[in-house]
Amino acid sequence: MKVNGKETTREVDPRRLLVDFLRHDLQLTGTHVGCEHGVCGACTVLFDGETVRSCIMFAVQADGHEVETVESLADGPDDLHPIQVAFWENHGLQCGFCTPGMLMATKELLEENPDPAEEEIRIALAGNICRCTGYVHIVSAVRAAAAGMAAERMS
Amino acid sequence: MVSESPTQSPRFFGSRVKRVEDPRLLVGGGRFVDDIEKVGMLHASFVRSVEARARITRIDTSEAERMPGVVKVFTGSDFSGKEVRCVSAYDGFQVSAYPALADGEARFNGEALAMVIAEDPYQAEDAAERVIVDYEPLPAVVDAEKALLEDSPLVHEEWRSNAFVERKYKSAGFDDAIEKLPHAVSGRFVMARHSGIPLETRAAIGDYDTAGRMLTLWTTTQIPYLIRTGLADAIGLPENRVRVISPDVGGGFGVKGQLYPEELACSLASIDLGRPVKWVEDRREHLLASHHAREHTHEATVYFDDDGVVHALEARIVVNMGPYSVFPWTSTMDTGMAMGILPGPYKIKDYSVLGFPVATNKTPYGAYRGVSRPAACFTIERLMDQVARHRGLDPAEVRRRNYVTQADYPYTSAGGLVYDSGSMIESQELLLTETDYEGLRIWQEEARAEGRLIGIGLGAYTEQTAHATKEFVQRGVPIVFGYETSTLRLDPQGTLVISSSIHNHGQGLETTLAQMAADALGMDIADVRVDYGDTAQAAYGSGTFASRSAVLAGGAARRASEQLRDQLARVAAHNLEASPDDIEFADGRVFVKGSPEKGYGFGELCRIVYHRPELVPEGQQPILEATVAYDAPPGTGTFTNATQLAVVEVDPGTGGVEILRYAIVEDCGPMINPLIVEGQIFGGIAQGIGSALYEEFVYDDEGHLLTTTFMDYLLPGAPEVPPIEVFHLETPSPFTVSGIKGMGEGGAIAPGAVIAGAVEDAISTIGMVMVGEIPLTPERVRRYIDLAQEAASR
Amino acid sequence: MKPAPFEYHAPDTLADALDVLAQLGAEATPLAGGQSLAPLMNLRLARPLNIVDLNRIESLSSVRVEGDLLEVGALVRHSVMERSDDVYRAFPVGRVVAAFIGYPAIRHRGTVVGSIAHADPAAEWPCVALAFDAEITLARAGSTRTVPADGFFKTMLTTVREPDELITQVAFSTTFDSWGFHEFARRYGDFAVIAAAVAARVSDGIVTEARISLAGAGDRPMRLLGAEAVLTGRSLDGDSAVAVAQASVDLVEPLGDIHGSAGYRKDLVGVAVERAVVDAANRGG
Repeated sequence: MKVNGKETTREVDPRRLLVDFLRHDLQLTGTHVGCEHGVCGACTVLFDGETVRSCIMFAVQADGHEVETVESLADGPDDLHPIQVAFWENHGLQCGFCTPGMLMATKELLEENPDPAEEEIRIALAGNICRCTGYVHIVSAVRAAAAGMAAERMS
Repeated sequence: MVSESPTQSPRFFGSRVKRVEDPRLLVGGGRFVDDIEKVGMLHASFVRSVEARARITRIDTSEAERMPGVVKVFTGSDFSGKEVRCVSAYDGFQVSAYPALADGEARFNGEALAMVIAEDPYQAEDAAERVIVDYEPLPAVVDAEKALLEDSPLVHEEWRSNAFVERKYKSAGFDDAIEKLPHAVSGRFVMARHSGIPLETRAAIGDYDTAGRMLTLWTTTQIPYLIRTGLADAIGLPENRVRVISPDVGGGFGVKGQLYPEELACSLASIDLGRPVKWVEDRREHLLASHHAREHTHEATVYFDDDGVVHALEARIVVNMGPYSVFPWTSTMDTGMAMGILPGPYKIKDYSVLGFPVATNKTPYGAYRGVSRPAACFTIERLMDQVARHRGLDPAEVRRRNYVTQADYPYTSAGGLVYDSGSMIESQELLLTETDYEGLRIWQEEARAEGRLIGIGLGAYTEQTAHATKEFVQRGVPIVFGYETSTLRLDPQGTLVISSSIHNHGQGLETTLAQMAADALGMDIADVRVDYGDTAQAAYGSGTFASRSAVLAGGAARRASEQLRDQLARVAAHNLEASPDDIEFADGRVFVKGSPEKGYGFGELCRIVYHRPELVPEGQQPILEATVAYDAPPGTGTFTNATQLAVVEVDPGTGGVEILRYAIVEDCGPMINPLIVEGQIFGGIAQGIGSALYEEFVYDDEGHLLTTTFMDYLLPGAPEVPPIEVFHLETPSPFTVSGIKGMGEGGAIAPGAVIAGAVEDAISTIGMVMVGEIPLTPERVRRYIDLAQEAASR
Repeated sequence: MKPAPFEYHAPDTLADALDVLAQLGAEATPLAGGQSLAPLMNLRLARPLNIVDLNRIESLSSVRVEGDLLEVGALVRHSVMERSDDVYRAFPVGRVVAAFIGYPAIRHRGTVVGSIAHADPAAEWPCVALAFDAEITLARAGSTRTVPADGFFKTMLTTVREPDELITQVAFSTTFDSWGFHEFARRYGDFAVIAAAVAARVSDGIVTEARISLAGAGDRPMRLLGAEAVLTGRSLDGDSAVAVAQASVDLVEPLGDIHGSAGYRKDLVGVAVERAVVDAANRGG
């Protein structure tokens, strides 16, 4: 499998959840566990470019596929992706636990819909629960990210 | 290396500074407890009671012990006597002991009975299923009001009743007052059990160093120092050999503000095995065994005159507490606070109230944002709306006639709280102006003419924040949470570390504390680092709760930064032959007022203190350190206030409620960081919307919890929370550092009342019914609609 | 919450998958999207001894129009139903319904057939299958059979699928002239408390054939034959909607749970059916 662009091979127990594999076998602890039944979205990663719930997939199912986690967005805290910059500037996170999943969902949204309206953003992020922000600043962050990414494309 | 400052010294207090903690969280580099691995670490899985109340006649662990990877299985007898007790000073308080593992009797569905330790969490869970427990079910006490009846079974058989304590108060003039008042309205107000439900579940790693005799507990807590003391006391360790570390935490909201049995158990297991033991709570366990909140039933009456001015309030408050008194609050917290704040921001002169925190066999009960204030606000605001209806007045007008006014501050309320400052009338006026309230009412009539069920709801509150010594003495708690502590240290380079006793799990305190300290020293916040969560760092404090951290820890940081400024000024003055009063700090320099070239670079001066002690004046220590424990006067808290408004539409067919508009005017005094203030407001309101429409722990009659997954316990997502309009007033406290007040909880206080009021208003075109129960699930709304129809046809 | 141990099989072809099922029968559970099964496994409410992962079998991803039917293979995801323009042309209700299912991450993995196999009475696709005369193809090693949706759902989470069978496709009728759909859920993306689907053949403005089906009103999705009779011979309009709704309420005895008592669900059936008929009227067709 490929994880964040890197070819990776491991042996896993069939029942090992993809999220546990990423977090504990590959030490990619950015992806979080919030419910283990597919509702909260904290575990959201990209699987062959599409968002999935890594808590309700088995690691073995990723064989031959590509997984991208939040760690793929930036090389480090000084080199943030425009979406991350937008979340930072717009206070789109508080405790940070939902944030990795929120960022991956946002990435998918903006790739499909580069200029989403407020309601479209709320619907696209419906599966990412946040208990801290009340979503208002998250929506502002996504709109700012859309503008930021559009500006980058122009330049 | 001290940053190069721009030409102007940045002024950080009051600015929308980006948060310092964000980059690591954004790149997935946060360090939450489950991200931490220790060499030789084992994993725990708890066996939990399937019954709400039962004698445990046998636990057979033999099969579990033989399962692959299992190292040991602990049961209650292994941890006998290791329990959490929290005793209130109130007369007649009945004592309970909350064991690390239940021994002999289970008292709530989900109580931990056994602990399996294995090499990995999957194996631990496999083995936990193989532990055989024999239960002899006992009659479970589930309903708090029934629990108070003579014939109820007792949760604790040695108690005289199921009430942890009975509280009452009556003002001297109450009986006379109600004789003379012409009108009264009463109601029964029920708020369902629900809780904070942070996105990160609890987790703990007990790590005992056998050779060094030192226990380190990594845990998801808001109160690391109190956990250290409570844990050391409960398991009998010397406190100087216990260290608690709470790293990044994924939300707390009060739920992570108690000492839990699993924290005792992980510590005890690690001590026994000499290896680190990690437990990560799963979501089902969280819903079962992390503390619940908010389950209040109030019966209340307001007595008022022809003008709708309320002169007396009477109430009976019952709170369903579960079987144990939790540490550090005791089980009296919600009841006592509700009794205090029930009169709300109103000039109600006379008051008679009874309060009963009741033991039951539901999950134990802890703190959740606002604690009892959401229930108290629900009751008094709903009653104010009934007064409005009774007198034919607009709900805004009734409130206007009853609010505490500027001339009244500081105002001692009927509940005994001293409201130090506020802006009730001004906030409401601003809200009504900004939302064009008159225009809304006109639009409402037009929409009603089209057959739509549109309602407008209003809710106001004043919120006690940053209360410290004096307040907690009154509450009869065994630990008076009197202060928070900040220790500031400058190093030879001139960079600053603030070590604080609070914890930060979303509030932005890494940023706001830096903002509070940086200005006094003319520093850039980029050169300030804030540490928290590790009890080895700061002196002592209580932690983060009760909207106090900015005021108390920020106040302490500000005071300590002033002491450091003093220390530096004296060294500079000594070497520049000037008076310390003539030394200025700006633009990264320390210099004589009026002669900027006569001075030092900030870093240069710090290095002199540490490396050139001969240049430090005699009598002054060659270190730059200050520790302040700050107890904001007057000790009974500083009061923030807000008014909230909602416009809703009710679907008459389904009972579904859509929030069309939500607005708030918030007055929390001078804002350290307006971006953070607004984030807290929006988050609180969203949780309040959850309280009003979605969230509820449902139990069956035998005390089994039915809502054990997120399919059943519903949290509001982005489509369920509307855009929220926020406006600010800034009325400073006359007492605190910089006049600041706390505000983290407030947003969550009013939405229940506001949305209930709006729904009641919406269905008023069908008929009059008092909406007194939340959450307003669609089914409940349909039932209210049916009642309204019945009322209309009578 | 970690799943109990299981053996994992990942066949590359349908024939291989059927062989595994032939050998293991009731000890094997097929896995397509996993969006319903895996949560149950994590909660240990489902403990398959063997998982047969179908995701490598490319032939199961096909979705195509064959005559009067839209044939949806076992691996066709909800998101394909939502986005494909070819699907929309043949079966526009698919896009509307798919948008009610969970959130994007769920729709990327979850499958139409998986939802039908799982047979949650509150799920959308089983209800739609009934309304659109769906035919469900079941294959076992050596043979296949086709079962109409109307005989497929037995009770809660239980269908006529035998343990050694695999559902390879569901085929929806594309020849209904008009259709409507209404769902009431607690929050965006949740399972229906009650949902109603209406499909009709219309001639000169009069309904000649009607299908009315419900999700959430019982232990399985159900068709309301009595209500269909009321709609037949009428036109699709507000008055018919009211009449059909009243008839529907009398035909159901829903089960209650914490999301809705029996009495409330009964009321909701009337509301959902009325709104679904009005939806059909508004869509024209």
